Amino acid sequence: MPEPRVDLPQGTLDLLILRTLALEPQHGWAISERIHQISSKVLFVQQGSLYPALHRLERRGWIKSRWGTSENNRRAKFYELTKLGQKQLELEESTWRKLAAAVAQILETN
Amino acid sequence: MFNDVMLRLRSLFRRKAVDSEMDEELRFHFEKHVEKLVRSGVAPAEARRRARLEFGGIEQVKEEYREARGVNFIETLVQDIRYGLRILGRTPVITFVAILSLALGIGANTAIFSLIDTVMLRMLPVQKPDELVLLARTNRTSGGEPTPSFTNALWEQIRDLQDVFSGVFSWSDTKFDLSNGGAVRNANGLFISGDYFKTLGVQPAAGRLLSLADDQRGCPGVAVLSYGFWQDHFGAAESAVGGTISLDHHIFPIVGVSAPGFYGVDVGQKFDVAVPVCAAAIFDGKESRLDHRSWWWLSIVGRRKPGTSMERTKSRLGVLSPEVFGGAVPQDWEPKDQKQFITRSVVATPAAKGISYLRRRFGEPLHILMAVVGLVLLIACANIASLMLARAAARNKEIAVRKALGASRARLIRQLLTECIMLSSAGAALGILFARWGNALLVRYISTTRDQVSLDLSLDGRVLAFTAVIAVLTGTLFGVLPALRSTRVSLSSAMKGSQGEESDRRARFRPGKWIVASQVALSLVLLVTAGLFLRSFVKLITLDIGFDRNNVLLVSANLKTAKVPPDRYLATFEDLESRLHSLPGVVSAGRSVMTPISGFEWNNIVHVDSPDAPTGDDALVNFNFVSPGYFQTLRTPILAGRGFDGRDTKTAPRVVIINQTMVLKFFHGANPTGKYFKLGPPKPGEPAPAIQVVGVVKDSKYESLREIIPPTAFFPITQIPELDESATFELRSLTPPAGLIPAVQETAAAVNKEIPLEFHTLSKQVDDSLVQERLLATLSGFFGGLALLLAMIGLYGALSYAVTLRRTEFGIRMALGALPGSILSIVMKDVAIVLSAGLLAGATLSLLAVRLLQKLLFGLTARDPLTIATAIGILSTVALLAAYLPARRAMRVDPMVALRYE
Repeated sequence: MPEPRVDLPQGTLDLLILRTLALEPQHGWAISERIHQISSKVLFVQQGSLYPALHRLERRGWIKSRWGTSENNRRAKFYELTKLGQKQLELEESTWRKLAAAVAQILETN
Repeated sequence: MFNDVMLRLRSLFRRKAVDSEMDEELRFHFEKHVEKLVRSGVAPAEARRRARLEFGGIEQVKEEYREARGVNFIETLVQDIRYGLRILGRTPVITFVAILSLALGIGANTAIFSLIDTVMLRMLPVQKPDELVLLARTNRTSGGEPTPSFTNALWEQIRDLQDVFSGVFSWSDTKFDLSNGGAVRNANGLFISGDYFKTLGVQPAAGRLLSLADDQRGCPGVAVLSYGFWQDHFGAAESAVGGTISLDHHIFPIVGVSAPGFYGVDVGQKFDVAVPVCAAAIFDGKESRLDHRSWWWLSIVGRRKPGTSMERTKSRLGVLSPEVFGGAVPQDWEPKDQKQFITRSVVATPAAKGISYLRRRFGEPLHILMAVVGLVLLIACANIASLMLARAAARNKEIAVRKALGASRARLIRQLLTECIMLSSAGAALGILFARWGNALLVRYISTTRDQVSLDLSLDGRVLAFTAVIAVLTGTLFGVLPALRSTRVSLSSAMKGSQGEESDRRARFRPGKWIVASQVALSLVLLVTAGLFLRSFVKLITLDIGFDRNNVLLVSANLKTAKVPPDRYLATFEDLESRLHSLPGVVSAGRSVMTPISGFEWNNIVHVDSPDAPTGDDALVNFNFVSPGYFQTLRTPILAGRGFDGRDTKTAPRVVIINQTMVLKFFHGANPTGKYFKLGPPKPGEPAPAIQVVGVVKDSKYESLREIIPPTAFFPITQIPELDESATFELRSLTPPAGLIPAVQETAAAVNKEIPLEFHTLSKQVDDSLVQERLLATLSGFFGGLALLLAMIGLYGALSYAVTLRRTEFGIRMALGALPGSILSIVMKDVAIVLSAGLLAGATLSLLAVRLLQKLLFGLTARDPLTIATAIGILSTVALLAAYLPARRAMRVDPMVALRYE
């Protein structure tokens, strides 16, 4: 099943995780699935980068984790956005939009 | 951030829980993924395989996850240490030997460094020591070093005229007799000027300290005790302040105690009692050193005003100098000398680290010893490096397995280095213990009866930092090479279980050879150094010194302190001498003003009536005044003429006995008896009394063993020009001389209970003059031996290892018909190459290094061929011996066993 994959630019993974968690608390696997699906299977988050990123965000206090029960009644670690994380998300979103618009503008002027 | 810290702490201390949570989370993720694949129609087994492929190494992810937790470094360190402990514990004997040799090496380095630190580097424990400067004066000859001593007149001039110091003080150290007659009990005394404590910023621990008001001409004298003395002699009793203390039979009221930790500005000496400078008049009587303008007894230190630079201080002192010296001219000097006197100037040097005669005396030996112990540590390092190399080879397989499992080379090197640093840290910890013990021993070793050395050798931050740094450095030094080599294993050959290719095997031993060769070289340097110091020490103690030092008790007596009237001095001394002579056990008795090898001299210019007689400084002759029994007691033979006897009374014609050197220098070696000489330079129109030579004695050492025996003249003690209140009796006994002391005390008390007596033995006095030489000889000898031992262990270990590596080769050779002898010669040839390379390098190094030692040697040149040859001989013999054991083992390899092993 060859799928077109795009490597995530540095720093965007954090933004995507925060965005995904803004909807509802999720466990790690669901986060990667959600990103995969919403991006029309373009973005794929390796667990090798996902979990270190989750831990990093947790240490910064943007997300917090607790153990809960998954859809099929298994113990899973759920991550949710904190207030601080909400602010960070807004900040990163606007930064990203500005950046993306600027890059698009440059690309289109030719 | 609180959150962050909590998470990190949790990861660190609840590692197991955190790890299993991580495990669970990752497993959950993995299974969800498999589930998804299965749902999309992949067979379960295939789904698992694919998921695993997609994920990459689970362990790798975990490692990255751990890395993100931010405590990975500490965690791996703890892991490495645990693992290291297990590895080191598996070979307890080797570990013990390694730690012990490191402890000796590091301990010796710490000990010598802490002496250097205390004597040379540490600041005085006073306020702003950087501002202190020591004053000195330039001398008659412009080239000489400035001398840091002043007369009281000069001190008063400087005190009153200077304007660059916020405070300035003078002091002089002395001994005070605390007893009231009988055996002397000396305390270390200080004469200090009024501003001493104030300028240094030292506070009282009890009572008050001295002030300017205490230091005025004609003062009654008060005393301040040091904290240590107050504790030892007064039990730190508050009542001591306000009490009195007897110093040289004068009673002083005690006004206070100085702060703990302050010992004075002379590093290496602790003062016990301080009295004001003006109190010198109390001890001296009419002609006190306060007024004596050529009595150079005071040292001066000033505190620079804040903002006054050293340059400004120096130049200002230079400007003031003519006025300072102009107001302190010695009235009794010749006009020409007086004129010269006022051209001298005051110079300043930084004094933040205090003043120390130890620095002058032991500075150079301490630096040499530092180099010696540094070399010993290097040899110990080399030893452990070869040990590590051998062990690394044994761990080849383990390392290959770990590499195959994904450990990076950096990670493995880190593990191996951690082990090494653990070894060196253990060595350092034990070494600090050795150092403390060794230091106490060293200080006792360099103390003499006359100069008790007391140093504050508490471990300060600098010493601990030094030890920590050398521990890490040594650990890295002996660890890096083996770690680099052993992690460069070829996976396939290691896994195959063979010992690798033949070429590989030889290459592996090459660094071992280098290490052994350098050990041999360094050991040779140490052996040569030790040999030089030992030989010059032996030369000094076996020297013909012209007298017999054994079994002579020296008894110094002072009649002035005992308040004997001056016109009774001579009679009292004569009485004492004859009484001491008749004591049972005393073979003969004499008395003199100077004793041999005391470090003091009395000299004067003499002239003989001869056109080519020596003049000026060339005509200086050392003097002594002795009683008739002196030469017999010291066993200095009279070679011509007569000794002194009852004829040579105070009023009899003046006579003298001279030594051989003086006969040669002043009388061309001809029999001088009956000839005359006069004292002082010839002064026309002012005839000095002629003194007749009545005898010649054998040359003997006067001031020190190292000197070239000076021309010496002995006069009858009855004819001494100035009445001397003190003299020393020499008593020769059949038994150990210290046994005479009680009888001598009783005899003296029968004459006058108040006479203070000081006891010494002549042999101890001679020994005390050789402290520096003995220190160097003993320590360099000890460390030379240690180096030899370490190098031999190293050689033995390295060779055993080499033989093990080549076992198969030897087995095959034997199977093909090689004789045991030829195997032996293969091994010994290797040894010979390594040994001669090491010896060659060592000899070259020695020849370069020993030049630094020349000044400290006696009676031989630094490149003494005999010493170098002996050192090479000893080293080769011991090395070949150490090599023979493993070589013999090689010879006895059973071909079958060796081949089967492979």
